[in-house]
Amino acid sequence: MPTFNDFLILLPEAYLTVAACVILLMDAFLKGGQRVAIHWLSIIVLLVGAWLVIDGQPATAVSGFSGMFIRDPVAEILKVFSLLTTALMFIYSRGYLRDRNINEGEYYALTLFAVIGIMVLVSAGSLVTVYLGLELLTLSSYALVALNRDSKLSSEAAIKYFVLGALASGMLLYGMSMIYGATHSLDLATILHVQNVEWRNLMLFGVVFAIVGIGFKLGAAPFHMWIPDVYQGAPTAVTIFIGTAQKIAAFGMAYRLLDSGLGAYAHEWRMMLAVLAVLSLAIGNLLAIVQTNLKRLLAYSTISHMGFLLLGLVEANPAGYSAAMFYAISYALTSAAAFGIILAMSRAGFECEEIDDFKGLNQRSPWFAFLMMLVMFSLAGVPPLFGFFGKLLVLQSAIDAGFLWLAVVGAVFAIIGLYYYLRVVKVMYFDAPVEGTDVRAQPDMPLRFVLSLNALALLALGIAWGPLFAWCQRAFGITA
Amino acid sequence: MLAEYWPVLLFIAVAIGLGIALLVIGLLAGTSRPTAEKLAPYECGFEAFEDARMKFDVRYYLIAILFIIFDLEIAFLFPWATVFSDLGVIALVEMGLFLLLLVIGFAYVWKKGALEWE
Amino acid sequence: MNPQLIQLIMFYAFGAVAVGAALAVITLRNSVHAVLSLVLTFFSVACIWLLAEAEFLAIALIVVYVGAVMVLFLFVVMMLDIKMEQVREGFARYLPVGIIVALVMLAEMIGMIGVRAMGLHVMGEDPAAAAGLSNTAWLGHALYTQFLLPFEIAAIILTVGIVAAVALTLRHRGGVRHQSAAEQVAVDPRTRMRIVKMASETMPTETVPPVAPSQETSP
Repeated sequence: MPTFNDFLILLPEAYLTVAACVILLMDAFLKGGQRVAIHWLSIIVLLVGAWLVIDGQPATAVSGFSGMFIRDPVAEILKVFSLLTTALMFIYSRGYLRDRNINEGEYYALTLFAVIGIMVLVSAGSLVTVYLGLELLTLSSYALVALNRDSKLSSEAAIKYFVLGALASGMLLYGMSMIYGATHSLDLATILHVQNVEWRNLMLFGVVFAIVGIGFKLGAAPFHMWIPDVYQGAPTAVTIFIGTAQKIAAFGMAYRLLDSGLGAYAHEWRMMLAVLAVLSLAIGNLLAIVQTNLKRLLAYSTISHMGFLLLGLVEANPAGYSAAMFYAISYALTSAAAFGIILAMSRAGFECEEIDDFKGLNQRSPWFAFLMMLVMFSLAGVPPLFGFFGKLLVLQSAIDAGFLWLAVVGAVFAIIGLYYYLRVVKVMYFDAPVEGTDVRAQPDMPLRFVLSLNALALLALGIAWGPLFAWCQRAFGITA
Repeated sequence: MLAEYWPVLLFIAVAIGLGIALLVIGLLAGTSRPTAEKLAPYECGFEAFEDARMKFDVRYYLIAILFIIFDLEIAFLFPWATVFSDLGVIALVEMGLFLLLLVIGFAYVWKKGALEWE
Repeated sequence: MNPQLIQLIMFYAFGAVAVGAALAVITLRNSVHAVLSLVLTFFSVACIWLLAEAEFLAIALIVVYVGAVMVLFLFVVMMLDIKMEQVREGFARYLPVGIIVALVMLAEMIGMIGVRAMGLHVMGEDPAAAAGLSNTAWLGHALYTQFLLPFEIAAIILTVGIVAAVALTLRHRGGVRHQSAAEQVAVDPRTRMRIVKMASETMPTETVPPVAPSQETSP
């Protein structure tokens, strides 16, 4: 029987649900000019949510609802950064949505519901909550991708995303049913401690299917097919969500399923993850080289970054998880800034998403060219930016795990990746602007200010990365 | 326990039997002298210029989706009704929360005008 | 004959029908036939669930999937551009398939209840029966105590479904003429009609009779 304490654990999620409903009703009842309130309220809701997550955080891990929901330091960090990157996305997206006549109210409400899904997913203590959190997240995401109804590209992306996503969900569910069949339990902690599983092979099949589901959510090769089309086709205001908060969620899901539930099979899934990592690094980096569309380039770059993230998971111990979590956060913040710049440069009727659009940006808006340079360097892993330390830590963890060859592969592809990130920088600084175009940032002061802070934070967190990493380590019980 | 479904089976058998019987009686007892004109589709007296099977409006889809969602909601009410008296007030609160969320969705649909046919 | 064997045969029979119908769903060219096969698939699976004494799930599958989801599928099929050549061949073409689907369903149901009526229980100990509860009540107890959180999340997912459907398909078309009863009733005569009183005028010639005080209305 649920107790009051259970609801106390769930406070941030309950609060966000109420807030999402309020915003939904505001969208239905407010008229014209008053709707601006929805935008600001959504941002405040997310920030207050982050505060609730931190403020009510118990000292040790607690669980509620018969162990279905776990509130521990890992979930805390993942939730805080999901909420913060979503708040960034709302700030960046306002002008974009207005210019394209995309229904804002539903955008904010659906995103908030998706964030609730993320929070449930990263706090899941049972296969049921993993699946329901994932469904809440993906169902909202399918609709968000299709939100620009008059764009054929957007509808096509949504259909691809939906069909492949449904297939992946089905695979995951199939794997979960095998795990349940082999262990007679849905509870992750119980699954972890089941001795002498009756049908070990059934269990291994379950593990494989769980990996397929995780690989799809991360967008790791060979489950990456949807990434480029969805990144390009979705409205940029939605792509940024798939590129930031969803990656944090995918890490959380991988951690909950693989470590909290299937930790006894680490020996088996480590090898599978290593294969996924190598494929992702190779496919992501090599195909990114030939891209001319910046959104597609970032899509392939995501695939390669997920390869790096998997390097951390391969170690299958707290040190590796904390490195992978640090990597997920660094990638999410960098990617938020990258899409933020695309959003800032786009206007009504003009999507600033071709690399050629950035030609000679330095002559037109030197400040944004500088910010873009920071972002590209961070994605490439140039010291002393945020992305560099992320890469360093996961490579270190792969070596510690005894996967020296994997670390070498990672380092080689990091150098190959340097090429296409630097190409964007070169285009901005050394090419002449295309005649007859006028690429400038929107005169939206909150956007400019927050975007600048976001990009400069990459530099600041690169120089002072210690505290954040220590926070990640503490979450996994490492006291340095 | 499944033997309790015997009346259901009887019901289905009677329904099917009645359906067939009525058709057969009509076929045997009625006079049937079809001509080409009698069998032609009737459209206000002039030649039919369009096929009867055309694309449905997407609005039907919206209605169907909303129907499914509220149908599912009802499906959750059945097990609730069986345990309501055992669980007491807390069951009322639980279902209240569930319904409240859907009522919010309903208010949204209504206010958005999705239930208007125009 | 061994009752357990009968039950096993029934299980495999339902399973075979379900798999065969599922194969038909993806191989049949005519989408209406495919939808009908899907109905058969759901129905066979519901029978298997009934065999396993998961009665509530079986009924829910019939009510929700066969009743509601398949209606949606039919709508979707009809919204798509079906090849008119196939459709024009008419009702007679669907009839055999429909009859076969219906007959197999009937046979399944008879088999199901017939076997069950002999009072056999071969599927292992049923926890609901052991606790002296009906299957639905057993499910209710689990759903509203242990699985409360997933239940409430399901409500959020359903709400997201509503929002997504409205956000993606609702379009207000301009220029649609329609009658608004509320506006018609709320009309105030004073805003619609103006009575102008004026003195009678005489025409220049004597032959025309004087004009009565006129009532002027404005639209």
